[in-house]
Amino acid sequence: MWNRRQLLHFSAVGFPLLALRGLLDQQARADIRDPLAPRLGHHAPRAKRILFLFMKGGPSQVDTFDHKPRLQRDHGKPLPFDKPRVQFAPTGKLLGSPWSFSRYGECGLPVSELFPHTARHADDLCVINSVHGTNAAHGGALLKLHTGSDNFVRPSIGSWVSYGLGTENSNLPSFVTICPTLAHGGVKNWGSAFLPAPFQGTPIGNASLSSADARVPYLESTTQSRALQRLKLDLLGDVNRRHLDAFGQDGGLEARINSFELAFRMQTEIPNIQDLSQESRATHSLYGLDEKITEDFGRQCLLARRFLERGVRFVQVTHSDTKVQWDQHSDLLNGHTKNAMEVDRPIGGLLTDLKARGLLEDTLVWWGGEFGRTPCVQGSNGRDHNPEGFTMWLAGGGTRPGIRYGATDEFGYYAAEDKVHIHDLHATILHLLGLDHEQLTYRYAGRDFRLTDVYGSVAEGVLA
Amino acid sequence: MLMYALRSRTLATLLVTGFIASGTTLEAADKDLPPRQPTPGTAAQRNHFEKHVRPLLIRHCYSCHSANAKPPKGGLRLDSRLGWQTGGDSGRAVVPGRPGDSLLIQAVRYDDDTLKMPPRKKLSEAEIRLLERWVSDGAFDPRTGQGGGDRKRGTADHWAFRPLDTTQRTPSRDRGWSTSPVDSFILARLQASGLSPSPEADRRTLLRRITFDLTGLPPSPDDLNLFLSDTQPGAWQRLVDRLLASPHYGQRWGRHWLDVARYADSNGLDENVAHGTAWRYRDWVIGALNADRPISAFIADQVAGDLRKGPAEETRQQRHDRLIATGFLSLGPKVLAEVDEKKMEMDIVDEQVDTVGRAFLGLTLGCARCHDHKFDPISTRDYYALAGVFQSTRTMEHFRKVARWHENPIASPEDDAAIQAHQGRIAAKKAEIATVVKTARKLLNLSPGADDKGQAKPGDIESQFPKDTRDHLKQLREQLETLRKSTPTPPTAMGVTEGKVSNLPIHIRGSHLDLGEVVPRDVPKVFRDDKSRPFSQEQSGRVELAQWLTSPDNPLTARVFVNRIWRWHFGRGLVASTDNFGQLGTRPTHPHLLDFLAGELVRGNWSLKRLHRMIVLSATYRMQSAPRDDAMAIDPDNQLWWRSPLRRLEAEALRDAMLAVSGLLDPQMTGSLLHVKNRAYFFDHTSKDETRYGVPRRSVYLPVVRNHLYDVFTLFDYTDASVMSGDRATTTVAPQALFLLNSDLVQRVSRQVAWQLLGSPSSDDAERIDRLHERVLGRPANGQDLKRCQAFLARVRKTLGPDANDRDVLAALCHVMLASNEFIYLQ
Repeated sequence: MWNRRQLLHFSAVGFPLLALRGLLDQQARADIRDPLAPRLGHHAPRAKRILFLFMKGGPSQVDTFDHKPRLQRDHGKPLPFDKPRVQFAPTGKLLGSPWSFSRYGECGLPVSELFPHTARHADDLCVINSVHGTNAAHGGALLKLHTGSDNFVRPSIGSWVSYGLGTENSNLPSFVTICPTLAHGGVKNWGSAFLPAPFQGTPIGNASLSSADARVPYLESTTQSRALQRLKLDLLGDVNRRHLDAFGQDGGLEARINSFELAFRMQTEIPNIQDLSQESRATHSLYGLDEKITEDFGRQCLLARRFLERGVRFVQVTHSDTKVQWDQHSDLLNGHTKNAMEVDRPIGGLLTDLKARGLLEDTLVWWGGEFGRTPCVQGSNGRDHNPEGFTMWLAGGGTRPGIRYGATDEFGYYAAEDKVHIHDLHATILHLLGLDHEQLTYRYAGRDFRLTDVYGSVAEGVLA
Repeated sequence: MLMYALRSRTLATLLVTGFIASGTTLEAADKDLPPRQPTPGTAAQRNHFEKHVRPLLIRHCYSCHSANAKPPKGGLRLDSRLGWQTGGDSGRAVVPGRPGDSLLIQAVRYDDDTLKMPPRKKLSEAEIRLLERWVSDGAFDPRTGQGGGDRKRGTADHWAFRPLDTTQRTPSRDRGWSTSPVDSFILARLQASGLSPSPEADRRTLLRRITFDLTGLPPSPDDLNLFLSDTQPGAWQRLVDRLLASPHYGQRWGRHWLDVARYADSNGLDENVAHGTAWRYRDWVIGALNADRPISAFIADQVAGDLRKGPAEETRQQRHDRLIATGFLSLGPKVLAEVDEKKMEMDIVDEQVDTVGRAFLGLTLGCARCHDHKFDPISTRDYYALAGVFQSTRTMEHFRKVARWHENPIASPEDDAAIQAHQGRIAAKKAEIATVVKTARKLLNLSPGADDKGQAKPGDIESQFPKDTRDHLKQLREQLETLRKSTPTPPTAMGVTEGKVSNLPIHIRGSHLDLGEVVPRDVPKVFRDDKSRPFSQEQSGRVELAQWLTSPDNPLTARVFVNRIWRWHFGRGLVASTDNFGQLGTRPTHPHLLDFLAGELVRGNWSLKRLHRMIVLSATYRMQSAPRDDAMAIDPDNQLWWRSPLRRLEAEALRDAMLAVSGLLDPQMTGSLLHVKNRAYFFDHTSKDETRYGVPRRSVYLPVVRNHLYDVFTLFDYTDASVMSGDRATTTVAPQALFLLNSDLVQRVSRQVAWQLLGSPSSDDAERIDRLHERVLGRPANGQDLKRCQAFLARVRKTLGPDANDRDVLAALCHVMLASNEFIYLQ
């Protein structure tokens, strides 16, 4: 028998008939012939491009951007309320942060001593302390963060953005991911799933390679000179055009002839972007390329700026070593110290540089990991995964600068005020890019799909 | 066999109720509630409603929950009394007099994390109290009019749910064009639209078309000679028979099916571990198609092979094959590190329901996990009736992270014997060691086992042995260890077996934390009839499910299957949405043809090869591909099949064709090419790439590693391999061109072709160019080709300089031919 409460539960949760909207929205359907042509979004965008600084493994909110004095005070005491129903691993009592916090900028944003360079941009940051997700394991959480779903195969947010907006440089892909991790979802995190293939991310290198060795696959030939390649392309174009003439008009054959010319142009354009010798010594230093500890991530950030400048819509950089980088189940102190050291100066430099070039205005910068960490100790000196409440920050691109939005409880365990679910974050990011998350749909398997599924609302409070 | 047919009466009931899952409960609950007609109410009630409640509802709720919200969210309308009485997807929103039991009140109080309304901002405490007062005062509401979500759901009368109609023939004026029953259906529609079929393509084009289509490979020069020299009537039929009998047929068409089976050699998703025994399923599919196993048995094996009764004379291998076939159910991606074990289990069941629904029935059953299907007559009740079948099936060994899937043992007598023999060798080695120890102890005058009392450790005693004895023992123990390590593992195959048989409760909104009524396992209600029997209490119900799927009365299975076959032959299905035959699917362009083919499949004992013959022996199949102005003006998309479509080679065919023309293709069939162990990681947290694709075997045998597919596959529109797909896309993007220009594979193949052309000593450029055209494009070079290619070779020689060798020069030309549209597109 039905239990009345069960029966009534959930009834008012939104569940729109997405598919109908999609039927009416043929205009939004990409034209396969030129799928990456730039398109207008649903409303005027605040950001024209986006850069995601992904911290793989889950940085601890209470040790970075979510200052919790009560956690310090009650260090060693038990958490005074229930831990989540589902936890990744058992944890113990409260663990105060080993780092002290100071206030920065006119806004007085508290930041821990792990991020001194980033903190200098406090007045440009829009820190969201109330992010929460649903999955406590890396794989599920990465997929949720990148695709909105931890159990179904769905397009990544970069693919949705490409689908929605196309690219401004037809010689480049619209979505580039630099040194992504191949684990925990791997390609799924930049894959286009059921969206057409051109919307998938183009990976450059992977997390097991130095960013200096990161290359776009098949961009360069090891065995033929450019001159020989040009000869081949000329004959190929000739042969293909004659074939087309003999056959008769055909869009597919024509598109394929053009694709070879585009490929040839990409071979010039991308190595040009990757040639960092064009940047001044001062810029190298700004991003930390002159120091071993910051060099790798600094190069990723600088590459990212160069791709963004040239019209790539969505760039992701990943801070991950061949371990799970920010995953300090133990030895929080040394792990987070090293991790923060590797990224802080490059991120500070990146923000300085974007601002100096006037790019921060319409570039959305997004920082964060797949979840945060527990305020309770794991083992003797670590923290476990915590998707219940963690921090991400945004900067530029129409976000409200110099604010903290939302809050966790007094200990930093659960998101408590102005909660921002991953779906809400996705909706907000799309909104800033000029896309309505409820209108950006794609028909597949009899349904119109969205990045935010049937959830998500724009966090108005973070908009400038 | 059980008989099923559609009954529109069932559907009508469903539609009137509007919400099948809760319909009966609501009726029962109505007894203790006020009548649906509004009562006049007291002045105070009227005043409270008009002054406070109505404005609140309008301001905060109507934007999502009124007739103006299209559609009202959650199916709930709050702009009429009937709206909240009927409620939304899960039932009534307000229980008059009982605010605590009223969902509306719980929602505005933000009591429950999963239900907070209005979603963006909580009402003020004062506003909440006003609503509570309204409910506790009896929820007076003067608003009349329609409430509740009015759903429009498909009915049993939907074309795909009707019984097959194989009697329809549309007369056409056929002047001897038709060569198969298929043609009259095509011709009739063409003529009705003022179109005519295109003429037959030339024999070289036809040979290339059919050889790629049936085997996924280009015709060899021998094939070409054989076919061109066969000028007798029936040459085409003989060619088709030859190709259908080739083992390459199963590799090609098996691969098609593997798209539907979302076949992969790794889990993908969060923990990308190897499906180390999935290849047995792949090989089974290839073998079953080569043997023309009836499609009904092919389907039933995959759903219930472990439970089906084989013939009395069945061999052990055949029995194992049925176990292997159930791999179909287990191949889906699983969130193996999901911390919530119950959720993991239900996600796996969901994946199975969804895949079975789309693969065999063309129904998106998965949609009904959280709510009644929005468009098709499938309720959540139907969903959990099917989910119960799979929850009663054992797919997983356990759900603890990292979870392990079940594997069925399939050891042959030889395997058993080999394991036994190996264990014998281990035992013998142990005995040998014991003897040496015993003898040595005797020499030391120790009684056997004296040290067991704790006086000395064996090591201490052995240290007193003479050196050569100690060395001997060391050697023997190393040998024992080696033997132990090389113990053969008995072969297993990913697949399912029976679990604990039980019925599932409805999971409200799909949540395993919120359970409703328990539903008996069954097929969806819309397909049940008087003859339907309840599912067994002793078994999961997969046998009944398989029987229903393959029943001649099932309107969907045969239609969906023949449509897939048509899609794979022609590049587009008669129903373009191959995996969705529901309301939102596309309508068939040729419904009578679809039903005719489905009927023929069943009538012909579900023989797939017979179906292929019927299709490819048609004149429709043999038309030219070239566009015709007259036809383009009427039917530019070739919806009616006035020409044969121009098709790009699929990823596998492209790679296989390159390997084939260069002579590099390794023809070996069957077996695994994985080099990571079963359940080992292809990618762990290190991002180290453990995939290897350098083997020149046919593409169907290359590892399918989810989350990191082989580049050739990804670039050329292979399936995602995580979700089933019967309709691959064809895209044209620059990275494909980069691959063809710069990849090692293409350059290696080019050099290999060049090397072969240079093999005959007497040949000159002209002859080589000619042979290159024959080999790669299946036609001789014409005068213009010759001139252009000779000029190219001269330029390449000049560019490469005096040191250039002939092979490098010729390889450049081969490279261009392999990248050309003529090679990559099939007419």
